[in-house]
Amino acid sequence: MNESRPLSTVLVQYPRATAAWRAALAATWSIARRDRFALTGLIIYAVFLVVALAAPLVAPYPPQELTYLSNGDVDANAPMSRTHLLGTTNLGRDIFSQLLYGARAALMVGITAALGVVILGTLVGLVSGYYGGWVDTAIMRLADVAFGIPFLPMAIVLVAFLGPSIWNVVLVMTLLLWRDTGRVIRSQVLTLRERAYVEAARLLGASHFRIMFVHIAPNVLPLSFLYGSLAIGWAILTEASISFLGFGDPNVISWGSMLQDAYNSQALARQAFNWFVPPGITIMLTVMAGFFISRGYEELLFPRMRRR
Amino acid sequence: MPLLDVEGLSVEYRTTQGSVQAVRGVSLSVEAGGSLGLVGESGCGKSTLARALIRVLPRNARITGGAVRLEGTDLLSLTEEEMNQYRWRKIAVVPQAAMDSLDPVHRVGNQMVETLRLRGGLTAVAARARAERLFQLVGLESRRLEHYPHEFSGGMKQRAVIAMALALDPSLLIADEPVTALDVIVQRQVLATLRQLRAELTLSLILITHDISVVAHLCQDVAVMYAGRVVERGTVRRVFAAPQHPYTMGLRNAFPSLRLHQMRLVPIEGYPPDLVAPPRGCAFAPRCPFVIAKCWDEDPPLVATESGHMAACHRANEAAVLSAGAPEAFARLERLAEEGPIRATGSGGLR
Amino acid sequence: MTRLLFIASRLGQTLLVLWVVATLLFLIFRLMPGNPLVAYIDPNFTQEMQQALLRQFGLDKPLYVQYFVYLGNLARGEFGRSFFTREPVSKAIWDVLPNTIMLTLSALVLAYLVGIVQGALLAARRGTRVEALGIPMVLATRAAPEFWVGMLALALFSFHFNWFPSSGATSPGSVYPSMWAKFFSLDFLRHLTLPALTLALYLQGLPTLLMRNTMLEVMDEDFVTFCRMRGLPERTIILRHAARNALLPVVTAFALGVGYSIGGDVIIETVFSWPGLGRLLVRAVSAKDYPVAQGAFVILAAIMVFMNLAADLLYGLLDPRVSHERK
Repeated sequence: MNESRPLSTVLVQYPRATAAWRAALAATWSIARRDRFALTGLIIYAVFLVVALAAPLVAPYPPQELTYLSNGDVDANAPMSRTHLLGTTNLGRDIFSQLLYGARAALMVGITAALGVVILGTLVGLVSGYYGGWVDTAIMRLADVAFGIPFLPMAIVLVAFLGPSIWNVVLVMTLLLWRDTGRVIRSQVLTLRERAYVEAARLLGASHFRIMFVHIAPNVLPLSFLYGSLAIGWAILTEASISFLGFGDPNVISWGSMLQDAYNSQALARQAFNWFVPPGITIMLTVMAGFFISRGYEELLFPRMRRR
Repeated sequence: MPLLDVEGLSVEYRTTQGSVQAVRGVSLSVEAGGSLGLVGESGCGKSTLARALIRVLPRNARITGGAVRLEGTDLLSLTEEEMNQYRWRKIAVVPQAAMDSLDPVHRVGNQMVETLRLRGGLTAVAARARAERLFQLVGLESRRLEHYPHEFSGGMKQRAVIAMALALDPSLLIADEPVTALDVIVQRQVLATLRQLRAELTLSLILITHDISVVAHLCQDVAVMYAGRVVERGTVRRVFAAPQHPYTMGLRNAFPSLRLHQMRLVPIEGYPPDLVAPPRGCAFAPRCPFVIAKCWDEDPPLVATESGHMAACHRANEAAVLSAGAPEAFARLERLAEEGPIRATGSGGLR
Repeated sequence: MTRLLFIASRLGQTLLVLWVVATLLFLIFRLMPGNPLVAYIDPNFTQEMQQALLRQFGLDKPLYVQYFVYLGNLARGEFGRSFFTREPVSKAIWDVLPNTIMLTLSALVLAYLVGIVQGALLAARRGTRVEALGIPMVLATRAAPEFWVGMLALALFSFHFNWFPSSGATSPGSVYPSMWAKFFSLDFLRHLTLPALTLALYLQGLPTLLMRNTMLEVMDEDFVTFCRMRGLPERTIILRHAARNALLPVVTAFALGVGYSIGGDVIIETVFSWPGLGRLLVRAVSAKDYPVAQGAFVILAAIMVFMNLAADLLYGLLDPRVSHERK
């Protein structure tokens, strides 16, 4: 009664493919209902998603537009007020509007990069674990190399090479971060492919493709989700860092680029806390939301940690 | 006054499936210098009972009732700090997991010295000397004190843990399956050591085991546990010569007996009940070959029987007759179980 | 014997990673659009002058020749000369590397000391309010962007209270007889404080959570139960037994941490204008000063992979059971 249930026994309860896909999704829901942290995370994401979608409707000003005082001067460095909830930048742009638009960049980068990382990582893990042999060896050596590359410096160099665009940031993250997901999925696949029902499918003449995607993939899905929820946070953080270092997309307002703008415009010396505090908080919240959700997954997958 | 007097002790585990009633109102006592064997299948609550006596339970376990009186003091009413004074000075335990009970990153001797200094108040030099004597006492060379646990064999670790348990001259030693993890030869050595120690030191012993021959070898008294309860208790001689409870009879048949030269061992068919929802009647009823209607409805209390010990069975007064037929009755159940799944564990199967 | 083999194979793997990184860098920088010297060449230069420059930097040869020259140079620790300052890249790196090491090590040591204590505390107080509040707080420090925390620190402690300088490693114009004299000067320490604390605040999250998790596992082990049965004081159980056993993975993570945090130094060094390797890299990439960027990157990568290697080997040394089979 006291021993933990290993991941494998949790997963083997859903051997049927369609049921398994549904179960993996249902699991997400049950995590949210059971775990206070995970629920908080999901709510944060939901709020930012609404903000991102509704930004053009809710934002009082276009984010890049200069605002003017009644006397015709640029309304620069305005403090927080009713007309400018968070004040204005040194060029008279409305900070609150920028913050709302920043949610778009953050979620776009976060979600696409997480998808990229998880899809690539899961595919690599499936192929590596399922085929084994030299395919596995080659892929795992490649993962070793990816682990040996300093992530942020490489991201900077690659973005500088590919050109400043948030899609390049996404691409770079996908290329560099698949390694963690890939490794974990692979080790899970290694045990799954020895299962009786996989063996049965093979004897019945199922193709490799079918075995991998219908019989094995659904069982590693919760793990993929776990790494996906973490990857969203990392991606947002990385985009912010790259933007802050000045390698971001100049045409996109992101929380990172807002902070870079503030930093370069002496906002620190001017003590313009209304400018550089809010974007940091929003970044922190979205990243934490990812952590919280992944914690929920961990407790589902490794219930041992749950017991107090 | 007995050294240890346990009355109505109950322990439960909180699990995701509900609370498991691992120990359900156990009463027993040990006289000063006495020795009690606690026998039963794994999962019957005997290890939980042992850990409850020294109040070191798993995090999800809780003592829900009863009293544990040691020389008249109820240990359950003490604060944690007060209880710490009783641990090891009065009660010491050789845990079931003795193999893994030594800290792998410290030398065995240092762990011994730590206990002697922190709990026994000895100086470093005195503790060292005592550690060496204790090692000699259990048959280990004193140079072994310098070794790490991973350099010890299984039997040596067991001895080291026994030495550790004797460090502060406890009045009561609780040994939980002290020989189970060992091979037969080492088992015999460790048992001999325990027997010798009992003779040399005036030590009371509670010996927990699923192996009744070990009890017969080392103990004066025995308590048989089933599903969190004591179902029979008395002197070893009486209980094994004239068992009053069908479970005890079954246990006797299931083990290579010491005195009765039985040709064939008969297992007890079936499994203990689920203790999340303990049965209303006798917990042994589903596996009992002598079950009667009353057994399903009424849980028999532990009462004194004619033969001078205690048992919890509605048919204890017929024990002599039943006992004679027990091997055959259990064997019949075994055959039935082999033939097919006709035996339900509920009330339907055997009436 | 197997141990030697293990070390050899790990070393081979490490060198392989370095070679791949070096090759990637070569390709990236050579394939970048535009003339690599575009930033350097004055539009008024004649064709001949441009050719002369290309020759001077070895850029007139075929790509594969350039590649082998590059690899050969790397092997000898030669990174070429900066397009801008014309200084040898190795000198530029050597000038700032000690600053980076000082910053990283001081922050890491602080982070791990604090993290180990915090983790042990969180584990010892499990199920209490300390845990309920502590864990989200630790997660928050991991989620907050380092550069933002640095900005807050600068705005408050440098610009508002004026306690610490806002940039650099030493005050302008200060001269020290030696590197060590500089490192132990009050001026340097004052400059170091904010970046090191900011970095440490970020870094302590990992050892804290790692320590807590391993502690929780260790505290369920039988030898801890046995300690409790012996009535040892809680403090002894937590510190001498549980924490001592939980320390192994954390110490290993320290070595890994050196590698990873050096990679992340680009951020902290930029915020605090700390003259280190990360800032050198960022500026070189911005300015398209490829030789410097390449050199700085290769050194970063080398530190990282060798620290990973060190972590692997360290684990073997620290565990008294290493040569024995444990069940």
